[in-house]
Amino acid sequence: MRSTIARLLIKRIFSSIIILFLIITFLFFLVRISPGDPVQKFVNPTLSPKLAEQVRESLNLDKPIHMQYIGFLTSAISGDLGVSYNFRRDVSSVILEYLPFTLLFTSVSFIFQMIVSFWLSIKSVKKINGLFDRALSNITLLIYATPVFVTGVFLVFIFSELLNIFPSSGLSSYDSADFSFWARLTDYIYHLILPIITLSLIEIAIFYKYLRDNLEDVYNKLFVLNLRASGVSEKDILLKHVIPNAINPLITIAGIELGIMLGGTLIVEVVFGLPGMGRLIIEAIFTRDYPLVIGCSLVVSFLIIFSNFLADIIKAFLDKRLLTGSLN
Amino acid sequence: MIIKKYSLIIIALLLVVGGCEKESPVHSNRVVVALSADITSFNPLFSFSVDEGVVSELLYLSLVDFTWDEEKGNIKPGPMLAKKWEWSKDSSSITFDLRDDVYWSDGRKFYAEDVVFSFDVYSDPGVQSRLYGGFTDFYTDDENHVNVNKTFEVIDSFKVRINFKPNSTPTLPEIIFHIIPKHVFENVERKSIEASEENFKPVTNGPFKLAGWDKNQTIRLKVNDQSFLHNPNGVSEIIFKVVPDYNSRLTQLKKGEVDFVELVKTEDIPGLKQVDYLNISSQKGREYDYLAWNNIDYELYNTNGKIKPHKFFGSPVVRRALSYGINRREILDEYLAGYGQLAIGPVSPIFKGVIDSGLEQYEYNPEKSKQLLESEGWKDIDNDGILEKGNTEFRFKLFIPSGNPRRNYAATIVKNNLKQLGIDVTIESVEMGVLIDNMYKKAMDAWMIGLYIAIPIDLKIAWYSDLEKTPYNFVSYKNAEADKILDEISEETYQGKLDSLYRQLQEIIHRDEPVTFLYWVDNIVVYNKRIENININPLGTIHHCWNWTVRK
Amino acid sequence: MKNRFKIWQFLLLIWIITLLIRFELLINTYDLIFSWLILLISDLDTALSQISFDLLDSMIAGILFIVIPLLSIIYRKKLGFLYGKVFPAAIFLILLITCFLFAPLISNKNPDFYKNIGITKLLPPLSSVQVLHFKNDQNFQPSESFEKFLFLKDKVVKKSFDESIQYLDSISTGGKIIYYQNGIGKEANRESLLLRVKDPFITKQMFILGSDQFGRDVLTRLIYGARISLMVGFGSVIISLIIGLTFGFLAGYGGGLPDAVFSRFTDMLLSFPIIFLVVLILALFGNSLLSVIVVLGFSSWMSLFKVVKTEVLSIKEKNYFVSSKLLGLSKKQLLFNEVLPVIIVPIIVNVIFQFGNVIIAESALSYLGLGLGNNYPSWGSMIQSGQEYLSLAWWMIFSPGITLIFTLLSANSFGISLSRKLNPRLQND
Repeated sequence: MRSTIARLLIKRIFSSIIILFLIITFLFFLVRISPGDPVQKFVNPTLSPKLAEQVRESLNLDKPIHMQYIGFLTSAISGDLGVSYNFRRDVSSVILEYLPFTLLFTSVSFIFQMIVSFWLSIKSVKKINGLFDRALSNITLLIYATPVFVTGVFLVFIFSELLNIFPSSGLSSYDSADFSFWARLTDYIYHLILPIITLSLIEIAIFYKYLRDNLEDVYNKLFVLNLRASGVSEKDILLKHVIPNAINPLITIAGIELGIMLGGTLIVEVVFGLPGMGRLIIEAIFTRDYPLVIGCSLVVSFLIIFSNFLADIIKAFLDKRLLTGSLN
Repeated sequence: MIIKKYSLIIIALLLVVGGCEKESPVHSNRVVVALSADITSFNPLFSFSVDEGVVSELLYLSLVDFTWDEEKGNIKPGPMLAKKWEWSKDSSSITFDLRDDVYWSDGRKFYAEDVVFSFDVYSDPGVQSRLYGGFTDFYTDDENHVNVNKTFEVIDSFKVRINFKPNSTPTLPEIIFHIIPKHVFENVERKSIEASEENFKPVTNGPFKLAGWDKNQTIRLKVNDQSFLHNPNGVSEIIFKVVPDYNSRLTQLKKGEVDFVELVKTEDIPGLKQVDYLNISSQKGREYDYLAWNNIDYELYNTNGKIKPHKFFGSPVVRRALSYGINRREILDEYLAGYGQLAIGPVSPIFKGVIDSGLEQYEYNPEKSKQLLESEGWKDIDNDGILEKGNTEFRFKLFIPSGNPRRNYAATIVKNNLKQLGIDVTIESVEMGVLIDNMYKKAMDAWMIGLYIAIPIDLKIAWYSDLEKTPYNFVSYKNAEADKILDEISEETYQGKLDSLYRQLQEIIHRDEPVTFLYWVDNIVVYNKRIENININPLGTIHHCWNWTVRK
Repeated sequence: MKNRFKIWQFLLLIWIITLLIRFELLINTYDLIFSWLILLISDLDTALSQISFDLLDSMIAGILFIVIPLLSIIYRKKLGFLYGKVFPAAIFLILLITCFLFAPLISNKNPDFYKNIGITKLLPPLSSVQVLHFKNDQNFQPSESFEKFLFLKDKVVKKSFDESIQYLDSISTGGKIIYYQNGIGKEANRESLLLRVKDPFITKQMFILGSDQFGRDVLTRLIYGARISLMVGFGSVIISLIIGLTFGFLAGYGGGLPDAVFSRFTDMLLSFPIIFLVVLILALFGNSLLSVIVVLGFSSWMSLFKVVKTEVLSIKEKNYFVSSKLLGLSKKQLLFNEVLPVIIVPIIVNVIFQFGNVIIAESALSYLGLGLGNNYPSWGSMIQSGQEYLSLAWWMIFSPGITLIFTLLSANSFGISLSRKLNPRLQND
C-alpha cells in the first residue's frame, strides 16, 4: 500500500513538472513571436537606431529564438529567471516581493469564504426550502452572475464614494509606518475589507451551493434517520456525522476554485490597486517585460498545481479509500 | 455553537475596524504627493520615467539649476552645485566653480571628482544610462564613451573645466544632469550598476533624503537640514504615495489623505471645485496631440528606400482639408473643458519669443474641406458615402494607443467628422509599445499620438528630412526649405535671428500641415490649499518643491 | 398568481409593438429592398457597389421581420417550446435575441450618432432636448430608380451624423430666429429651416436611459451592444464547442498517446488562470472583434473536453458502439451518429454556462482596456467608459451593468432549468 502511494506521488509530481515545463515553453514562444519591441523603452528617441541594437544585444534579444530559448531553459533550471526589464532586478527577487501579499490575501479570503459559506449553508439546511434557504439561493444566483469588477466598482461607489466608510484603494495608510503594531494590523484589515468581500462574494456563492446540496444529501441519508431515531442530539449529528461527510467533495472544488481565485485576484488587485501578483503580471504584460511575464506565470501555475495536489492529498487522508483513485 | 461564535468574532472585527477614525495629516508639516506608479530605481542614471525624474530631482543636485522665465518664454540658468561658470571665448570649453559646502548623505564631501566620474558613468556603454549616446559634443571613443582625460581638467577640488570637441556647438542644457557620488559607485562593476543594491539605499546630496520606501505603497523623503537649500520654514517631509487607480487618487485628495495630484481629468474639475480646501492649477503647453498622416508610401520606402507621396496623405492640400474637416474645438471644449489650447504648429505657446502668433488656424469648416478634397480629385462618384479617386476609396485605419481616455475621446470625434466628409476610418487601438514600434518602422497610414516637447525648443528631431538621422520624423515630412532653416538654426546663437528663423519655419510647416496639430493639453494639478508657495511652470509641477511651505 | 401567458403570445406581442412604433420605417425598408431589387436587375454593378454592412443589416432585419413569423407559423408543430409558458429568463433571452436580429428596426438611431456634445452629453435618464430641423437639400421627389433608391437608403440606413438638425437649449422665434447653445446664440435663416405653418419645426428628443460623454443615446448603444455581446458569446462558444468535441472525442476514442497529449495540454491550460492567458495574447497580438472571439473560444474548451472525453470513454465499452464500429462506420460517423446523441445533454448545459462565462470575460477584458475599443458599442466598453464618469453619471454604468447581470442570470437559470428538464439525473449535481 505504502509503495503504491509513493509511486503515485512520484508520478503526480513528475507530471506536474512536465506541465510546468510545457507552460514556460508555450509562453516563451508566444511572447517572442508577438509584435512590439521591448527595447524602445530604453532608447532615448534622439539617438540612432544603432544604439537600439546594442541594447537589444545586452538583453539577449539579438540571438536567434531557439538560442534564446536554450539559454533561458538552462538558466531557469538553475533557478535564474533572468532580469526584469522594468525593475532592472532579478525576476525572482521581484516576485518574492509581490508573492507574499497575494498568498496572504488569497488565504485570508479563502478562510473567510469557508467560514461564511459554512455558516450560511448550515443555517439554510436547518429549514430546507424555508424563507432563508430560498432567499439565499436566489441571492447566490444573482451574485454568481455578477462579474467581479462590477461588484468591485459598485462596492467602491457605495462604501467609499457615497458612505465614505472604507478606503477605495491601497494596502495601508501613508503614515502607517509610525503606527504601533496593532494599529498597523487594523490599518491593513481596514484597507482589505472591500477587496476581500469583492473577491469572496462569488466564491461564497459557489461554496454555499455545494455545501448546502451536500448537507441536504447527507441529511436525507438513511444513517441520519437512524441516528435521530436512536436519540442522538441534532448538534452531535451535525458536527460528528453530517459535516465530515459533506466536507469531502468540497475539498476538490476548493482546490479548483483556488486556481480560479488567483485569476479573480488579478481583477481585484487592479480595481483596488493592491500590490500583488495580479497587478505585477498585468504590468509586465503591458510593458512587455518578457522575463517577468514568464516568471510570474510559472509561479502562478505552480501555485495552482500545488493547491490541486494539496486538495487531493487532504482528501485522501480524510478518506483513505479514495487515495488511489484521486491520485490518478 | 462554534459557527455562531466565529460569526460574532467577524462582526466584532468589522465594527472595530469600521469604527476607527482616520487621523488627518492637516496639522503636520508634511506633504503627500500622489504617484500613479512606483518608481523602479532611485538612481538618476536610470530615471527613465517622469516620476523617477521627479524623485531623483529632490535627492540629487545638478551643476546648474534651471528656472523658467515666464516673460521671455525660455529657461534661465542659475547656480546650484556650481556657484558660477564661465564659457571660453570660442565656446570650446566651460569652467565650473563648485560649492565647497555640499556633503553626501553618508558624510563624505562633494568634490570635482564626482562630476568627472558622473560624465564617465553616464556615457559608459556598459551602464546603459538614460543619457547614453547623448554626449555628441565631447571627445568620445567609438562607443560614445566620454574620454575623461581629454575632456576634463580638474583645476582643484572645487574647480573643473570641460573641453569640447572642435567644431561642436555645446549648450548648457545638454550637459546638465544629476551628479552621482563617486565613492559609492567606483567599486561597483559598471555592468552591474543597473541591478546594484546601492540604487535602493541612495547616497544623496539634494534638499531631501530618503527616509523610507515601502514598495508600491510610499516613498518617504525627509528634508536634508545639512543642505544649502534647506529652508527651516519649508516642508519637512514629502511622501510620495503610490495610488494606481485614478479615481482613488481623487477620493484621497478630497479626503485629505493626499495633498497633491497631477494629470487630473477635466470632467472631475466641477466636483473638485466644490471642495473649498483645494486649489486647481495647471501646467500649460508641454504636450500636444496630433493626427499623424504618413506623408510617404511607406511600403515602397520600406522595400527599396524610394520616396513616393502617400496615396491619400501625400498632398498638402488633402492634409489641409483633413485639418479643416476635424472639429478640434469641440474636443477642446467638451473634453478638455478649456484646459488646453488649439495647436497651430509644433511650437508650444510657452515659447513666447519664438511662437508665430500671426498664423491662421484651420477652423472647422466641412464645406471647405469637401471643396479641397474635390479639387484633389476625391469625390463620391458611386454615391456609397465614401469618396473615391479612380478605383481607390478613401478608407484607412487610424491607430491610437490603448488606455488613454483623451485620445479615445478625440478619436471618436475624428472618426465621425471624417465620416461626414466621406472618409471611412476604422479606429484600431493598440498597446503603446506596439504603436511606437510601428512608428519607427513607418508601418501605418495614420495614427494619433501625443508629443511631450523638450525644453529648450528642438524642432530638428521631428521635422528634418534626413529620415535616417531623424528618428522622430515619423510621418516622413520632407521639405528642402524647412531643412535649410533647421540647419541654420542649429548653427545660429543670436536669439533675435533665431526667433525670425523659427517664424519662417512655422509658416512652412503650417502651409504643408504634415500632421493635423490638434491641441495643447494642460497638465491639471489639484492640491490642498495648505501648501503655499507652489510654482507650477513648464519645467515641472513639483519643480523646486523645497520652497513650498505648509500653512499651519 | 398563475400565468397562462405562452411564449408564442409574447413573441407576437413584441412583433406587434415593433410593427406599430416603427411602421413608417418598415414600409421604407420594404420599399428600399424593392428598389434595390429593381436596381439589381437594371444595373447590376451599381447595385452591388451600394452594398455595405449597414444596408444589408437593415434589409435583412426587414426580411427576417416577415420571414421568421411566417416560418414559425408553418413549422409550429415542430417548435414545441413556443407553447411553453413564459418565465423571466426566457423573456430576457428573447428580448436579447430580438435586439440581436432587429437592432436597426428597434432603434431609430445610429449607435454612434451624436451632435452638439455640449448640449447632449451626460444627460440623466428620461431627459429630453429640443431639436431644430433644417431643410435637407435631398428633400426632392426622385424620378429615376437609382435616385429613389438613394433617397430611401438615406431614410432607412441611419448615419452617425446629421447636418439637418441642431440640438438647442432655447430658441426665440419672434422676428429673427435665434437659437441658443450653451449660452451662445446663433441666428438661423428662415429659408433654411423646415417650417410648420409659419413657425420653425421643433421636436423633442428623449434620452430614455440617458446619454454618455459624447451625447450618444445609452439605450441605442445598449441595444447594439447586445449584438456584440451575443456575437462574442456565440462565436467563442462555437469555437470552443468544435475544439472541445474534436479533442475530447479523439482523446476518448483514441486512448493512449492522443489521450496523453490532449490531456497534458488541457492540464497545462487549466493550471494557469485563463484570464492571464487571454490578457497576454490580446495585449501581445492586438485586439479586434475577431481576435477576442477566437482567443476566448480557444481558452474555454477545457471543461467541454473533459465532459466529452469521459462520456466517450464510457460509451466506448458499450455494445451498440462496438457493433457500429464493427459495421465499419468512420470516425466522423461514429462521432455524429453514436456519440453525439448520447452526450448532447451535458454538452448543451455546458455550452450555456460557457456562454455566460465568455460574456463575463469579454466585459472584464473591456474593463482592463483590452476589449473591442470604440469601433463597436459593447456592454463591457460601456462599463469601462462609465467608470471614468462614475461620480458624474451613474446611469452610464448602471444600465449596462444591470443588463450584463441579467443576461448572465438568465443564461444560468436557463441552463439549470434545461438540464433539469432534459436530464433528471443531473438534478442533484
